[in-house]
Amino acid sequence: MAKITVDGIPIEVADGRTLLQALDDAGVLMNGVDIPHYCWHPKLSIDGSCRLCQVEIEGQPKLQIACNTPVADGMVVRTDALRVRRAREGVMELLLVNHPLDCPICDQAGECKLQDYAYEYGITESRTREPRRALKKNVDLGPTIVFDQERCILCRRCVRFCDEISHTSELKVLGRGDRSVIETLPGVPLDNDYSMNVADICPVGALTTKDFRFKIRVWFLDDVPGVCTGCANGCNVHIGVANNRAYRYVARRNDAVNDTWICDPGRMSYKRIGAPDRLKVPLARTDLGVPEAVAPERAIALAAERLRRLVETKGAGVVAGIASAHATNEDLFVLRRLLEALGSDSAGLAVPLWEGDDLLRKPEQAANGAGARALGFGDAASVVERIRGGGVAGLIVLGHDLLDPRYLGGVDALARLDTVIALDSYVSEMQRVAHVLLPCRVAAEKWGTLTNHAGRVQRVRPAVAPAWDAASEGEWLARLGAALGLPGFSARYDAREVSRALAATVPAFAGADYESVGDAGRPLGKGA
Amino acid sequence: MVISAAARARIDLEIAQYPQRRGALLPALHIVQSEHGHVAPEAARELAEIFGIRPIDVMEVVSFYNMFFASPQPRHHVYVCTNLPCSLRGARGLLRGLEQHLGVDAEGNTRDGRIHLGHEECLGACAYAPMMRVDERYCEDLDLEQARRIVDALE
Amino acid sequence: MLKVPYVTGYLTEHFGDDAFATLEGYEQRGGYEAARTALKKMTPAEVIDLIKRAGLQGRGGAGFGTGLKWSFMPVQSDGPKYLVCNADESEPGSFKDRILLERGAHQMLEGILIAAFATGAEKTFVYVRGEYAYPAQQLMQAIEEARAKGYLGDKVFGTKFRHDVVVQRGAGAYICGEETGLLESLEGKKGQPRKKPPFPAQFGAFGRPTTVNNVETFSHVPHIIRRGADWFRGFGTEKSPGTTIFGVSGNVVRPGLYELPLGTRLDEIVFQHAGGVPNGRQLKGVIPGGMSMPILPAGQIDVPMANEFLRERKTMLGTGGIMVMDDTCCMVRVAEIITYFFRDESCGQCTQCREGTGWLHKIVSRIERGAGEKADLDVLLDVAAKMEGQTICAFADAAAWPVQGLLRHFRSDFEEHVQQGRCPFHASFEL
Repeated sequence: MAKITVDGIPIEVADGRTLLQALDDAGVLMNGVDIPHYCWHPKLSIDGSCRLCQVEIEGQPKLQIACNTPVADGMVVRTDALRVRRAREGVMELLLVNHPLDCPICDQAGECKLQDYAYEYGITESRTREPRRALKKNVDLGPTIVFDQERCILCRRCVRFCDEISHTSELKVLGRGDRSVIETLPGVPLDNDYSMNVADICPVGALTTKDFRFKIRVWFLDDVPGVCTGCANGCNVHIGVANNRAYRYVARRNDAVNDTWICDPGRMSYKRIGAPDRLKVPLARTDLGVPEAVAPERAIALAAERLRRLVETKGAGVVAGIASAHATNEDLFVLRRLLEALGSDSAGLAVPLWEGDDLLRKPEQAANGAGARALGFGDAASVVERIRGGGVAGLIVLGHDLLDPRYLGGVDALARLDTVIALDSYVSEMQRVAHVLLPCRVAAEKWGTLTNHAGRVQRVRPAVAPAWDAASEGEWLARLGAALGLPGFSARYDAREVSRALAATVPAFAGADYESVGDAGRPLGKGA
Repeated sequence: MVISAAARARIDLEIAQYPQRRGALLPALHIVQSEHGHVAPEAARELAEIFGIRPIDVMEVVSFYNMFFASPQPRHHVYVCTNLPCSLRGARGLLRGLEQHLGVDAEGNTRDGRIHLGHEECLGACAYAPMMRVDERYCEDLDLEQARRIVDALE
Repeated sequence: MLKVPYVTGYLTEHFGDDAFATLEGYEQRGGYEAARTALKKMTPAEVIDLIKRAGLQGRGGAGFGTGLKWSFMPVQSDGPKYLVCNADESEPGSFKDRILLERGAHQMLEGILIAAFATGAEKTFVYVRGEYAYPAQQLMQAIEEARAKGYLGDKVFGTKFRHDVVVQRGAGAYICGEETGLLESLEGKKGQPRKKPPFPAQFGAFGRPTTVNNVETFSHVPHIIRRGADWFRGFGTEKSPGTTIFGVSGNVVRPGLYELPLGTRLDEIVFQHAGGVPNGRQLKGVIPGGMSMPILPAGQIDVPMANEFLRERKTMLGTGGIMVMDDTCCMVRVAEIITYFFRDESCGQCTQCREGTGWLHKIVSRIERGAGEKADLDVLLDVAAKMEGQTICAFADAAAWPVQGLLRHFRSDFEEHVQQGRCPFHASFEL
């Protein structure tokens, strides 16, 4: 450890790091210690070119860039010296000399570091009378990103991202001096699974995503911390919300999960929240076999009635449950308790797969497979076998992944069952066989926790509320349990209470309830 | 293949001199240009393959250096040095005179695709001004008449 | 081929003799004796000590102590160490390295051998500016000769010392004269200077410990080995020993190269050696050390050409490129040329340099056109101040200093442009 002093405040930091890295590690950078910077990014190599992070270091005649200066024990740093302020003003003025100053029509306005630092460190008067550099606007860099060369401050974060993170190197600075511009090669567009991160790390309005640009001014957005549910990695996101609608995901930094990145499919998965194929009303099959919309109370009553009759006639042994890796730990805990209360001992997990990669994407294309397993749900294969063999007459099924070719490959096997109670967020073939189908909330609409592939429990909270009768799986199941008169079940439901109960009941989840995990999450205990 | 076998052999000799292959990229670009006059996209692709880098890495380098060209060039380059020592001794007049003589503005190409006329920043011939570089040859202590004769002799 | 210097010293005394460029001719005049002595009779530490005692300073512009620089190279190393010869001479007003390559390639190679022995380098990369096709060719010929005779290769002079020299030609970028820009270029990349730390002696060419010296610096080395530190200190001043090759250009009677001791007075060089200003004109100003160095007005050139004296007049020796301007010269035009050059050559990494060089040029250009305002002069100085001392390499300083110098000594030229709304110097050189 090295003891350094920044503006008179002693800070202990790790050796072998540069000043900005050390302050960032300590969690104080831009959070107590303000050293503005453009080219430096915690997850990219040090560039040292924007020169904004210059600080005064005792014993050194020249100002030093904090991003590349190794810390040393006893180092005395001043960020508030007059010449530091002058240096920042100098950099800001020079960066603005050729900037188009088109904030009114710039999509970055409101979350632009050029705006922020110009406000904080810039001088209010523009002294340049020279024509500004005229460069290309609206450059189509690839399927996801639009580039404005005039707004670019050449911090090269995007170039380093493509070199060091996506390893695709589509972007380079061509030319030199004040003719330098970032370009792609003709025929080699910026097109990779992580391309949109360049818009997140672009400190100015040069790189914007085609998806989000001009949709809404960012200051109208509420920023709700969330978790991407596109795969088992559980990348942390900021959900941008306005008018009860999610407008975007932006990567939320979590060094234990996703650093500062998310993949493009994950980022775009926010569209699934309000997708047109959301299941919006409870459906119940009529005597003619046609699904019909029913009120939630009626749906629960019908489901409870069918289950009760089945258990009474054939015993609980014919009832099986299928867990979904899309559901939260709390939802699945309620499912487990319900099956136990019914007396069923047959349950399994159906989880969809896709292709993972070396960076973030995990093979399981759902957020909570690890949570389901930690709660004792084994693979659905054994249940599938029992269904095929006729050993199952009643099924409580979450999601529709059971229809995947890896499991049933379709609804046929389910059509023969006496009772199918399905809980799902999206329309599927399940509709044809479910006797009762209950519309569920997705992760961005409910309280709860998800356990990622590495066993990290992370929480979600409602960013938006569905405008229809959707409830979490846990809530539906709790109401079903209450309607069945099962012990310990009540129609009143609070996912955070369930989370506490889960943490208190299942040893692996000890200390990993909703409140305790915080916004950064916490690993499952050793009991997992 | 746009890079000839002979050029490829020369490039391989250069590569052998460096501890890392890429060290020979500038020499290789000079070799490619000596054959084609510029670095075409196809040549950049081939060079990228030779050096185990991407074509844009090649073009990034090409774009940085004045002596590399990404587009087809006239047969000859004539550059009049216009930096201070040469300007103090009449370089701008020489350049204007050549513009008139060739019927082309500085930084432009003659219509017959014969000559690119340009200016250059200090060629290290400050005491022998004005001067110009004709392809790889320095022509020093010039007057306009001599300069005209030199460009006229270019094929 | 370059003309022989008007005044010669130990570096250039044989440059009039074409044979000196050949290995045979060079050896007939005592060539490679110093390298033999160093390799066979001295230890690397003794060589470094001798160079330190001689007080040789780098001749590439920065004037850093050569012996000290060599001593930064780690003695123990887990892999190859390299030497780099900076022959990217591009500083406007400088053309001395060119003649040292054209007519004294073996002298430089001998210096390289001695330096390689002293630093334990197994290979030297000579980076020759791209436009120097003929000098590069002369050098390659010399290398071939030296290889054929066993002066380069596996057993240099029959000793265990192994060394080879590789020539790389640049491709037209002034910034590659900056030592880490050069290293990047040598590695096949854009010549953008590296941030420090790490320094080349730890992490240089291809990630290995590297020492970079200029052509002229190497060329002095054999003479010091042969004749000793005291002999070398017999030239020049106490703080700046040895000779250097001044290049004199612009409005003088005899523009050319002059090898003279450091500390020779600038007015002596301009008036006596170079014959003064021609055509009956008066002297207006002199840039003493290549374009990066601030100008001196005619009244201030009574100064010895050594950094300890030039610093007092807020300028430096640089590369010893002396540019002379007569009284017809418009100093705003001079500024236009200088700011254009630095704008053109900035690598574009650092904010202050990329944006500052462009801004300086645009303002100066506007003043020259007659569209300047009084406030522009202060903006120029302020922008220059914002560029100075804040970037990865010294290029931004080099771009800022000449503007500061011109405004320090010739502010009235700028003011007259602003007041009259046009250039008042009708007889000035053309732009």
